[in-house]
Amino acid sequence: MIDESLAHALRLRAKEGDQTVLRSPELKSLYDQLRTMPAEQRGSFGKEINDLRQELQQILASKHEAAEALPSIDVTAPWDVNTSPADRPKSGLAVNGSLHPLTQEIARIVDIFARMGFTALESRQIDDDYHMFESLNFPEGHPARDDYDTFMTEEGLIAPAHTSTMQNRIISDNKHLLEQGEPIAYVIPGRVFRNEDLDATHEHTFHQLEGIYVGKNIHAGMLVATLKTYLNEYFGEELDVKLQPFYFPFTEPSFELAVERPTILRKDDSEEQKWLELLGCGMINPNVLRMAGVDPEVYTGFAWGQGIERMVMMKNEIEDIRHFNSAKLDFLRQF
Amino acid sequence: MKFSINEAQNYSNVPVVTQDIDALVQKIGAQLGAVETVENWGHKYDGVIVAKVVSCDKHPNADKLNICWVDDAGVAQDVERNEAGHVQVVCGAPNVRAGLTVAWLPPGSTVPTTVGTEEPFVLGARELRGVVSNGMLASAQELGISDDHTGILEIEEPDIQVGSPFKQLYGLDDTIIEIENKMFTHRPDCFGVLGVAREVAGIQDQAFSSPEWYSVRPQFDEAHDLEIEVDNQISELVPRFMAVAMKNVAIKPSPVWLQALLNRVGIKPINNVVDVTNYLAYVTAQPLHAYDYDKVKALSHHKAKLVVRKPHKDEQIALLNGKTITPRTEAIMIATDKEVVGIGGVMGGSTTEVDQNTQNIIIEVATFDMYSIRRTSMTHGLFTDAVTRNNKGQSPLQNDRVIAKAISLMNELAHAEQASNVIDTLNSQQSDSLSEPITITPDFINVRLGTGLSKEKIISLLANVEIKTNENDAGELVITAPFWRTDLAIREDIVEEVGRLYGFDKLALEMPPRPTNPTKVEPMLAFKHQLRTALASFGASEVLTYSFVHGNLLQKAGQDPSVAFKLTNALSPELQYFRINLLPSILSNVHSNIKAGHTQLALFEIGKGHINFHKDDDNGVPKELEMVSLVVANKSKKGAAFYEARAYLNDLGQKLGIKFGYLPIKDPLDFPIMQQYDQARTALVVIEGTDTILGAVGEFTASVRKGLKLPEYCAGFELSLGDLLAAIPTGSSYAPLSRYPSISQDICLEVSENTIYETVATLLDDSLQVDADLDQTIAWHPVDIYQSEEIAGKKRFTFRVTLTSYQQTMTENVLSNILQAVTNEAENRLGAIRI
Repeated sequence: MIDESLAHALRLRAKEGDQTVLRSPELKSLYDQLRTMPAEQRGSFGKEINDLRQELQQILASKHEAAEALPSIDVTAPWDVNTSPADRPKSGLAVNGSLHPLTQEIARIVDIFARMGFTALESRQIDDDYHMFESLNFPEGHPARDDYDTFMTEEGLIAPAHTSTMQNRIISDNKHLLEQGEPIAYVIPGRVFRNEDLDATHEHTFHQLEGIYVGKNIHAGMLVATLKTYLNEYFGEELDVKLQPFYFPFTEPSFELAVERPTILRKDDSEEQKWLELLGCGMINPNVLRMAGVDPEVYTGFAWGQGIERMVMMKNEIEDIRHFNSAKLDFLRQF
Repeated sequence: MKFSINEAQNYSNVPVVTQDIDALVQKIGAQLGAVETVENWGHKYDGVIVAKVVSCDKHPNADKLNICWVDDAGVAQDVERNEAGHVQVVCGAPNVRAGLTVAWLPPGSTVPTTVGTEEPFVLGARELRGVVSNGMLASAQELGISDDHTGILEIEEPDIQVGSPFKQLYGLDDTIIEIENKMFTHRPDCFGVLGVAREVAGIQDQAFSSPEWYSVRPQFDEAHDLEIEVDNQISELVPRFMAVAMKNVAIKPSPVWLQALLNRVGIKPINNVVDVTNYLAYVTAQPLHAYDYDKVKALSHHKAKLVVRKPHKDEQIALLNGKTITPRTEAIMIATDKEVVGIGGVMGGSTTEVDQNTQNIIIEVATFDMYSIRRTSMTHGLFTDAVTRNNKGQSPLQNDRVIAKAISLMNELAHAEQASNVIDTLNSQQSDSLSEPITITPDFINVRLGTGLSKEKIISLLANVEIKTNENDAGELVITAPFWRTDLAIREDIVEEVGRLYGFDKLALEMPPRPTNPTKVEPMLAFKHQLRTALASFGASEVLTYSFVHGNLLQKAGQDPSVAFKLTNALSPELQYFRINLLPSILSNVHSNIKAGHTQLALFEIGKGHINFHKDDDNGVPKELEMVSLVVANKSKKGAAFYEARAYLNDLGQKLGIKFGYLPIKDPLDFPIMQQYDQARTALVVIEGTDTILGAVGEFTASVRKGLKLPEYCAGFELSLGDLLAAIPTGSSYAPLSRYPSISQDICLEVSENTIYETVATLLDDSLQVDADLDQTIAWHPVDIYQSEEIAGKKRFTFRVTLTSYQQTMTENVLSNILQAVTNEAENRLGAIRI
């Protein structure tokens, strides 16, 4: 047992803000005592000394904090005492405020789709395996899961790697619309995450916009027509699109859709520059509809997903994807 | 998948290429899968000529060199010839001799392995120890056919014309089209050239038919020269395991055509036995493995025995890649009855490897559970060609064809003879399809594709890729998946197949039907848009910062990391936790912006926070705390930044039609989101007149300021968006304008210095009474807050009170009387004096 009066004296010194207490002969004497002690007592005594030392450190730290703390103010007042009329607090800076280029882009796309009849709903940033994979027809252990380097939490939750994580909820929550003879038409912007190393062209955190349309007699030609209509509106000109077959577990058939790159965004006349691979899409897999409680014999639908960063980078010739999350005013105030 | 057009042609009954290559590549891209690269392999051999060595004599000035005269039938241009028309070439290869047919690289040609590289090696005519050599005679390595550099390539093909282009040999005049593997995730058959050839025929509307060795179930011979036994203990993970022993193999390099093919498609030639297994996997997509029979036998108790089982506890395996691992407990192991000799479907072991001295072999053709293969591969980081194929789930129904072909190729290329019966763990009579027949109507297909395809067209499109269709009595199509197809199980699979083979580029575009009722707006997203537009209009800049943070940042912000969701597998140490709230992230970017020259700034973010005690709050998933946070900072200003942050909040309130109230914090609050605030300079933000807390506005503790290098003048707020959205009033607060002028008077009240503003304001609100009958309204606003030495212990609040009547012009004394009542009340309640 540490001598209580000794401990008390040390605490008092710490409370007075005496920084030397940690190096004091009194504290050192305790360590000397430890060395001469029978082995079986050393453990508990050593712990006591450490606890005391930590307590002293904490007292000193809070003391230090209190010393640096500013005096309290009347938070109910509109300004501090004796503030001259010229110095009264107000919002506003000498420069204009700015909106993040990614939120501007999302707002623009959401607006186009709103005019086309799609409701916008934001995606989640933490989700479970069922919504991220299982309800999208990725059974446990499916190799297609390898294409998504997902972040996992200790609880087994997932930072979604695609905005499709909302599909099951949206279809399921809106299936009454189908019974009323109306389609389910949603776009879902949101942040998604892939466990990748950062560099100028790779981000672990980026944005996608998902789209879903479910109704009666909905076919693949409507998928292409809808996306082409959107892209024409987005780019402000009539552009060709083409499909490449692809594989996603949650759509069948699945495609990658490429749009004819507007001339202004082309670097040269090559075939590579001609096409812009922009989004993945397909007819919603019947298993996905079924898991959301919709009968795939009666209703069909399509879904797609596009990245947001790439378009913004291309249009503005942004050289480093990391700028988006850097909070650098030099970057942000240019938009 | 690297698709060799020449090799495909060997297995195709129709021309693989019916148009120019570019058009075919376009078509593959549009109807099969994204093309990564197209390599014109033959281009490497432009100018390389088949020639005959007509004489070969020792070089007078060099021991190891020979002077050869070669006959190229006079094909090479611009080269010096003797009167017989032959060309002189100096050659140092030990095997060069008169009579050999060789590959000659004449002057002006390029060494094939250097074509397309940064430093192509172009040959010339140059002197070697005083004798001119026109170009060179090439080794297999220089030709990019194999690693063999021990001598020049000896061309042994019969009927080869001297002077003909070398690329005509060995299928070298080839084009390799690499198709993205991702597209074939559900098409294991397309990891074989046979499968891709079938699809390529189908998309060109040609009827493919598989070679007979593949389409017809083989009959196996009996043999009893070598004894082997297979014991499959985990048939649930290994549905089919076939094996056969072969004797008297002659291990040697594979023939040039095979080595050349493997090289073209990126497989390293090893020896004839290993090459045959790799080649057949390339052709059929079904991985094979060859064991040294005698090594297996030596590791077995009695006769050679292969046991398929899970690993025993702590069992280790030395793999072909030189590594020794302890496999995961559920891995599929191949063992003898004594010890493990390989990881099934992933990688073989080194103890039974086929080598130069191997005399007898065992060939294994087995089907493994794709999920198990994937997990084993991921657990141990083993990524082999076998894994790529096996983790897509190969059809077990083709194993018998593959092993029969392997027996015949081993015989042809390694002189091996079948020495045992063919063992097959799948004893029962098999069906020729993995799934039940699919019944479908043309209508079902046409509704989903938006097409009008006839029944006949559908049948023919499917027949092109050997999918058989019958019609039932109801006139529906009954479709049977061929034995190699694992992906045709439901009707939508047929829709996809028909659409792809027909061509998705031919689909008719039509907009979906759309009701005329207005598009529903989800309030939260629209609200966020309203907020960010408002805050930017006040001069603040919107930022986005990461949703994940380092534990250090939480600690610097005074937060306990144990309440944050922790990531377990992040590659970067920067990403340890889901952030609890946004303020710390914004604060961590203040210093860098000030350093960049922005001495005065206002940053805001709209985003989500997460706390792990709300783990199941939102239908079983964590509650997402939607919030808006703003930080103001000024490097060169002194004073209480609190009031500036509050000014932003007031302006925001005005835009939203909300009047905020600010409550001082009496007892310290220890919610995680309150930890960064200096609570003596922080207020809880409420809807005025209610106790609905929306968030807080305040300055930051000394340790937060120090840890994040914040200037002294720095404050911010953070509000919950859900509560804020709910607080927006639906009605209007508009007050009509009066036709009569208003009158104003100031009132200055001196109170004790401990009296807070709110107390005086409440008094004012309570005691400013008007006569309702006279249709008057009264309003006030603060003008000044004053303290000085002269009035030590006191504080003066000055307010301007404005009275408006809708009925008449007012006289000053009406307002004076009202203010007198206020003064009296202030004296009574607060002991105030009107100055």
